[in-house]
Amino acid sequence: MITTVTIFIPLLGAIVMLLLPEEERILRYAALGIAAVPLLLTLYVYFAFGSDLGAAALTQDFTWIQSLDMGYRVGLDGLGFGMFFLTALLTLIAVVASFDVRENLKQYFAILFVAEVGMLGVFASEDLILFYIFFEITLIPMYLLVGIWGDENRRQAAIKFFVYTFLGSTVMLAGFLAFGILAGTYAMESLTAGGGLGRTAQIAVAAPILFGLLVKVPAVPLHGWLLDVYVSSPISTNVVLSGILPKLGTYGLIKVAIPLLPEGVQPFLPYLAAFGAINIIYGAFVAFLQPDLKALVAYSSIGTLGFILLGAASGNAVGLNGAVLQQVTHGLYSALLFVLVGVIATRTGTRKIRELGGLAARMPWAGGLLALGAMAAMGLPGLAVFVSEFMSIMGGYDAFPVQGILAALGIVLSAMYLLYMLARVVFGPIERPAYETIEDAGPMEMAAAVPLAVLLVLFGVFPALLISVQRPGVEAVLSAIGGS
Amino acid sequence: MAVTGQAIIALLPELIALGFAILVLLVGVFFERSVGLVAGLAAVGALAVFGSAAGLLAAGFSGEFFGGGYVVDNFALYFKLIVSGSAFFAVLAAARWSWGTGDAPEYLTLILSVVLGSILLVSMRDLFGIFLAIELATIPSYAMVAFDRRRRESAEGGMKYLITGVVASSVLLYGIVLIYGVSGSAELPAVAETFSGNLTPVALLGLVLLLSGFAFKVSAAPFHFWTPDAYQGAPTSAAAFLSVAPKAATFAVLLRILLEGMPEATPTWTAVMAFLAILTMFVGNLAALRQRNVRRMLAYSSVAHSGYILAAFAALQGQGVERAVEAVLIYSAAYAVMNMGAFLVIDLVGEDGKSFNGLFRSRPALAASMGVFMASLVGIPPFSGFWGKAWIIFSGAESGSVLVYVVVGALVVNSVLSVPYYFGIIRNMFFEKPAMDAVEPSGGGALKFSVYVLALLTALFFLLIVPISAIAGGSGLG
Repeated sequence: MITTVTIFIPLLGAIVMLLLPEEERILRYAALGIAAVPLLLTLYVYFAFGSDLGAAALTQDFTWIQSLDMGYRVGLDGLGFGMFFLTALLTLIAVVASFDVRENLKQYFAILFVAEVGMLGVFASEDLILFYIFFEITLIPMYLLVGIWGDENRRQAAIKFFVYTFLGSTVMLAGFLAFGILAGTYAMESLTAGGGLGRTAQIAVAAPILFGLLVKVPAVPLHGWLLDVYVSSPISTNVVLSGILPKLGTYGLIKVAIPLLPEGVQPFLPYLAAFGAINIIYGAFVAFLQPDLKALVAYSSIGTLGFILLGAASGNAVGLNGAVLQQVTHGLYSALLFVLVGVIATRTGTRKIRELGGLAARMPWAGGLLALGAMAAMGLPGLAVFVSEFMSIMGGYDAFPVQGILAALGIVLSAMYLLYMLARVVFGPIERPAYETIEDAGPMEMAAAVPLAVLLVLFGVFPALLISVQRPGVEAVLSAIGGS
Repeated sequence: MAVTGQAIIALLPELIALGFAILVLLVGVFFERSVGLVAGLAAVGALAVFGSAAGLLAAGFSGEFFGGGYVVDNFALYFKLIVSGSAFFAVLAAARWSWGTGDAPEYLTLILSVVLGSILLVSMRDLFGIFLAIELATIPSYAMVAFDRRRRESAEGGMKYLITGVVASSVLLYGIVLIYGVSGSAELPAVAETFSGNLTPVALLGLVLLLSGFAFKVSAAPFHFWTPDAYQGAPTSAAAFLSVAPKAATFAVLLRILLEGMPEATPTWTAVMAFLAILTMFVGNLAALRQRNVRRMLAYSSVAHSGYILAAFAALQGQGVERAVEAVLIYSAAYAVMNMGAFLVIDLVGEDGKSFNGLFRSRPALAASMGVFMASLVGIPPFSGFWGKAWIIFSGAESGSVLVYVVVGALVVNSVLSVPYYFGIIRNMFFEKPAMDAVEPSGGGALKFSVYVLALLTALFFLLIVPISAIAGGSGLG
């Protein structure tokens, strides 16, 4: 019941937003209040049920269509809890960071909350059709957020986003339907380890599902929609777009594809690991070439998604734990970087790396946090991303040595472009006289950035805070695929 | 063939429709200026039909009357609900517009006459009765299409609709006569005996002509060419209503003919249906992609959606029969709410695609409603269109026929194909700036009310699925 309430509170919030008067202060405070509720509820779940997420209070199993064995089945487990929490957190951060949204504010928040319903729902679904429905509920809101509030290029970007991801999810649905019809049920619980399907059938079903999920991530040859969308979005949309949305794809891999179709996915695993390595290396190289700070962060963000793919493909406890953890840590750091890019762009009026420089002198906080975020991105020990990337690489190397080594190489590459970026943007001489007078991040902006930075440090020092919660979920996956 | 009390009860919805049709006309003559009274009476009439059918359904009323030619079962009652429900919204939408024509009572009476024909149709179990009921529903609809005398297109559309409709009726009648000739009876159980074993050439010809006639009526390709002109010319409320209610009734009776009258000939007619479905989907969507006029676009879209329903007909075989019947029931209702809504928005905004520009900024609630209709027509969850398509896919999968798998594949491809034109409207509404010279078309409160209620029904449609499948389970068909 708590899970259901948490998922649908934002929907109520969206309706409330639409009924409020058109006054900016009221709208912003109301949105903050609404976004805080799911976060508080997830924190409550963490402290009250952290060691036993299977508790009856969290799960609901209502068979809706008997003859198809399809139903409203939700629950939290180790795999989904981290992302459930992150979704609630990043939506709140997105509300705080919505300083660059000025027009049609109430509709902006309402649409953001509808997207939150979809995202929360995906991470709690225990039924394939329900999973798909929540998956698709995010589609139109994100399309609208980018298309209405983005920059000049927003129409193009929004349409690209829609066409790619709709195509991907339709293919995925075809796989889901075939799976459910062959197995006679859509309940994930009964589908574990193939739901009675033979190897060939599993492969045939897994292929479209993997394709749809990889488009969503996006894995590198399927990433054509990404750059325009990330660059055109308002900053607060970026927070959700880079922090949560790709995880719908990776979570689908870890929660649906791998444990439910172990034999079907198995022949694809080396390629999945290779996709991971390619994402990491491609992302690093292309990020290096970007003149635009936001584009650099965007490529850095898809690059490090590769670690999730690698860890997920590994099929061992270390790698899977790394992948599940990386989903959360990646969201924290990429959201932090996007918020700071937004702060810097609004202060200096540019995002061109060439035109920036020496910001540390006038913006110590923003510059310092950017440095922290960048160090997290390169996997510096002591910060959360290090733990998850390290585990992913260890697990990945165990299963696929070549891909593992390539991924480790990617860390070096990412250090290069991130340090170069820091040197250009944060340190060095002050590039333009106008920058002498700019002010540091204001209280709202700090409120968006600091919690993310704190969590990066906290989970870096105490990764067990998350790993202890996710371990039972990972063990369930391992037992489904018959690994150790 | 005595008229018993039971028969009167069975005919209650029809009698109410007839009574209100006459009443509206009469009251209209005496109270020429009271918009509210006449339109209100027509709306109450539609609701009363709805209520009586719902009452019969709730009471579990069923039976055969008049020598078995007229049947009341869950299946028939369900379609009476769809027809009268959409008539209610059509009346609300037409109230203010029809007053401008000066002949409102006549127009509203025509709506109720189409209701009468359509609800009679779904209960018929005799081929000649079916023909008569189809004509009873169609003849007033010619007049509805041509009703807007201020626009030339209306007369043109009505004329084209009339001519092709008459040809279709003759083809249909010819098919019925041939079938009657070989089976010696027009009642479906007797027909079923003829359509078992090998079909004689004459029976086959009769079947082909019958199906062609129906293809005309439901605007399936290649018999769809009257649709765009008729719907573009027709008053909006007429296009909204005719694309939904009589069409659903026609599909319903076709389902009855095929399942009760020709169960043994399934391989033959499912193959025809599969062919028609694929052709209709592609023709409708490819043509809709090129339209700039929203009315015309929706007309082609309705052709495409006929194709989707025909896909369910192709799945009426193997293990898929029960689910396919369910799919037709679900799709008819799902389509009724979303398509009526989409058409009615035209009266509030305009029929040029550009008139939707910037609607999100000027009238956000209307833009959101239209967004719901468009997303639903594509088939995006959780809206009604998704459930309709999902059930067709389920039934196709259960049918176990390779040909049907191809049809289902075509349905998925067509859903993706339809994204550009439906989302073109969404893009205009949400991403573009309002046009400078945008005129604000006027629309009454009743029209807006209809649009919002239909949007809500489209969004919350999933709540209706369990009741609908319960009705389908007890329909007696399949």
